[in-house]
Amino acid sequence: MIPAEHYVILSALLFIVGGVGFLVRRNVLVTLMSIEVMLNASNLALVAFNRSRLAHVASSVSTVSSAYAGQSHTGQVFAFFIIAAEAAEVAVGLAIVLAFYRLRRTVRSDEADLLKN
Amino acid sequence: MLSFLPPPNDYVIIAVILGMPLLGAFVNGIWGNRLGKRAVRLMALAAVGASFVASLVAFMSLAQLSEQEKGAHVKLVWNAWEWMHTTGGQGATVPIEVKFSIDQLSGVMMLIVTGVGFLIHLYATSYMEKDRSYARFFAYLNLFIFAMLVLILGDNLPLLFVGWEGVGLCSYLLIGFWYENPANAAAGKKAFIANRIGDFGLLCAMFLLVQYTGALDWNGIANGATSLVHPGEAYRVHVWPLGGGHYEGFLHFLQPDKPYTISAATAVGLMLLLGCSGKSAQIPLYVWLPDAMAGPTPVSALIHAATMVTAGIYLICRLSFVFVLSPFTMMMIAVAGALTALLAATIAVVQNDIKKVLAYSTISQLGFMFLGVGVGAFTAGFFHVFTHAFFKACLFLCAGSVIHAMHARVHDDDKAQDIRNMGGLRKWLPLTHWTFAAATAAIIGLPFTSGFFSKDEILYRAFVDRTVNPENGVGMLKKLGTFSPPLWIGPVLYAMAVLAATLTAFYMCRLYFLTFWGDFKGWTVGRPSLLARHEITAPHAPDHVDDDDHDAGHVHHEDPAKPGYAPHESPWQMTIPLIILAAFSLFAGVLNPGFGILKERPMDHWLEPVFKAASEKAVIFAHGNDASWAEHLEWPLALGGIGAFAIGTTLAWWVYVSKRGEPAKRLAQSQPGLYRLLLDKWRIDELYEATVIAAVDSLAETAAAVDKSLVDGILARFTSLVVAASGTILRAFQNGVVHVYAAMMVVGLAVTGWFFAVPHPNATVVDAGHDDYVVTAAPGVGYAYRWDADGDGKPEKQDFGSDTTLKVHVEPGKSQTVNLQVRNSFGLVRTKTIQVARPQEPTSSL
Repeated sequence: MIPAEHYVILSALLFIVGGVGFLVRRNVLVTLMSIEVMLNASNLALVAFNRSRLAHVASSVSTVSSAYAGQSHTGQVFAFFIIAAEAAEVAVGLAIVLAFYRLRRTVRSDEADLLKN
Repeated sequence: MLSFLPPPNDYVIIAVILGMPLLGAFVNGIWGNRLGKRAVRLMALAAVGASFVASLVAFMSLAQLSEQEKGAHVKLVWNAWEWMHTTGGQGATVPIEVKFSIDQLSGVMMLIVTGVGFLIHLYATSYMEKDRSYARFFAYLNLFIFAMLVLILGDNLPLLFVGWEGVGLCSYLLIGFWYENPANAAAGKKAFIANRIGDFGLLCAMFLLVQYTGALDWNGIANGATSLVHPGEAYRVHVWPLGGGHYEGFLHFLQPDKPYTISAATAVGLMLLLGCSGKSAQIPLYVWLPDAMAGPTPVSALIHAATMVTAGIYLICRLSFVFVLSPFTMMMIAVAGALTALLAATIAVVQNDIKKVLAYSTISQLGFMFLGVGVGAFTAGFFHVFTHAFFKACLFLCAGSVIHAMHARVHDDDKAQDIRNMGGLRKWLPLTHWTFAAATAAIIGLPFTSGFFSKDEILYRAFVDRTVNPENGVGMLKKLGTFSPPLWIGPVLYAMAVLAATLTAFYMCRLYFLTFWGDFKGWTVGRPSLLARHEITAPHAPDHVDDDDHDAGHVHHEDPAKPGYAPHESPWQMTIPLIILAAFSLFAGVLNPGFGILKERPMDHWLEPVFKAASEKAVIFAHGNDASWAEHLEWPLALGGIGAFAIGTTLAWWVYVSKRGEPAKRLAQSQPGLYRLLLDKWRIDELYEATVIAAVDSLAETAAAVDKSLVDGILARFTSLVVAASGTILRAFQNGVVHVYAAMMVVGLAVTGWFFAVPHPNATVVDAGHDDYVVTAAPGVGYAYRWDADGDGKPEKQDFGSDTTLKVHVEPGKSQTVNLQVRNSFGLVRTKTIQVARPQEPTSSL
């Protein structure tokens, strides 16, 4: 089994890629995509931790009842919640991008300075 | 009989009596405009009618109970819930409950309010027929009945105060009912503010009662009343220096050699008197009542004549056992009453507005009631409340009927009320005429009408009765020198009252003769102005007359060339109440006739248990303690009242019928100054304007100047400058670039993340006694602890553990350093140094 550390390192790398993309890219669509990458990085970490915890509990306890008690899937369920929240966020985000495009005929985020001062 | 009714100590029928008018007010107030006039009328009448029926049932149970208890002071009680409680002067808890009770006194009052209230509601359904705000009117009127019942049935002073304020509110709303006219709104405000002054007194009285008697309910006050006259220094109210203070420094000259104190009874009594004179329109707070006639006439009849304004007398009767403890207060009540009766009567003599005359007449009659209760004749005073409710309500409703008829001709609010435009109305308004005559007969004291008996009793008792403290001249009170009313006060009060009664007879007959006798002068009133308006609105065909219209500002369709339509009698909804009230005005006297006509006077007998406590606590006595001497005076003194009636009536007949008002005109021309003074109501309003109101105004102007210069000019401007400046600085950071914001978010996230990643050691030190101190580390997620108790930088144990507490021993005056190391799940360790200091033992000095 691949150890959890590998997943966590991958997740951290993804998060950094997303974060840098979020900071440096000027295209709003790419910015949104970067946010998606960051969220998915956290999803990956959640799922990986959940998996390693299940394996750990299964190998260390002997009685049936406590083994059952260890069968927690909180991490995976959490990932689904984040996916749902992501979908909502993208819907709102794309709507904002659309409205912004109608207003300025561009999707470059440095043009979005209406709130200046 | 009546066994199916609830028990006297949980008499829930009171909830019906109170609840129905409230329901009516609620329904009409919320949905009235959508329900339509028929439903509003039904709701309003049914609410008050049901309340009246329930009141009758309650009164019968009370009578039965009273019979069972052999005429003791009985009560039907309904305790709804405990409202709040407070702490009394002696440290006792004073519960303030929402508790209602009906006793002999409130039972009678309740019947008056619901009974007369119902008749006036019935009257108003027709009188207000054409008004736009029909539902609003009846909502207010029902709300008034509810508030008045709370006032009457409340078993403690705070609850009475709720009703007291409620009727004040309804009075305000109804005076300003036609609020489009600024004068009406101003009159409403005036009534409200004058009543506020009185309420201040009532509140102060409540505070004093809590302090000195430790109770606010009627029984509790009665039980604790003796401490109001306790001669001890702690039981007396310091008038000067105020509240028992002490003046020092340059104010020392204000410090008297001996503090001036009055008994708590006098303080409570005078404060209550202030409250009562506000509500019952007595000197000095009577000025609001004449202006209150701006409201619709049924309101004047119900609120400003029959019920609300008698609340003050009701309160004095209710707390009679407190008032009698202070003979000075009693005398002040009597003097205020007599002065008001006389002053208001002189003003009424020259007024020309039919409602104004009746308003001053009401003030004058309220003065008689104050005089009655002031000399300790509580039954007589209250009986006058009872009879006055009938005849004054009848007079006002008759005035409404007359105005109704006049308005159909004159179409002008002021001119329709001016008695100079009336005359000869008995031809067209026969029912109104006869009922008005009956009520006038009662108010002027025509022998054997109700007003005759009630007023005559007051006159008689004013002459012979005084209230003195029974303990006067005994023990401590002898040293204090308690007040005792002088002997000459009785005859003086009697003379003033007789003079006022004479004037009453005169002005009421003047009103009656000018309105109903002679020739009708309304044919020509308002014609020229009508002509002018008619030319503007020429296309209108003179085909019909909207003769029931009360609203100002409507269009007239009459032909100015013709004399117009004659005044007409009012519909049955208006005349039925008149007939009933007139009948009561004439015959209600049988309930309490004087002169030994009945062996046992029903009203006296009925109310005796209520006032027994009062007459036991003080001696209300007839001239030098000789009761038999006073008895012989009853007939001779009645001659004063009968004489007042005879002289006043004859004079009015001579002036206004025989000579057709010529002597009055000549007198007014020969004494123009006096005439103007009376017409301007002794210019009391102007006096208040120049003194009290001017003082308040100048205070307000000073406050406004300070507000504008200091608060607005400096403080507000400085604050706004600071805000604006910081806004300018902060605005520079808002450059509108999304990426900068995103970067800020990332930085913030990193800082927050670092904060959570690092452990934060913290600890509290508690003195455990025996020179020991316990240091407790604050908890945290995944924290492990390591202690260094001696502060040398080397922990005792090498491993981190779960010990969150450490006990250290510190000598007095010494201090100990303790190090706490905390490691969290990330393996990061932080150290906190804690000083445990012990103060020096206090050295005992002998």
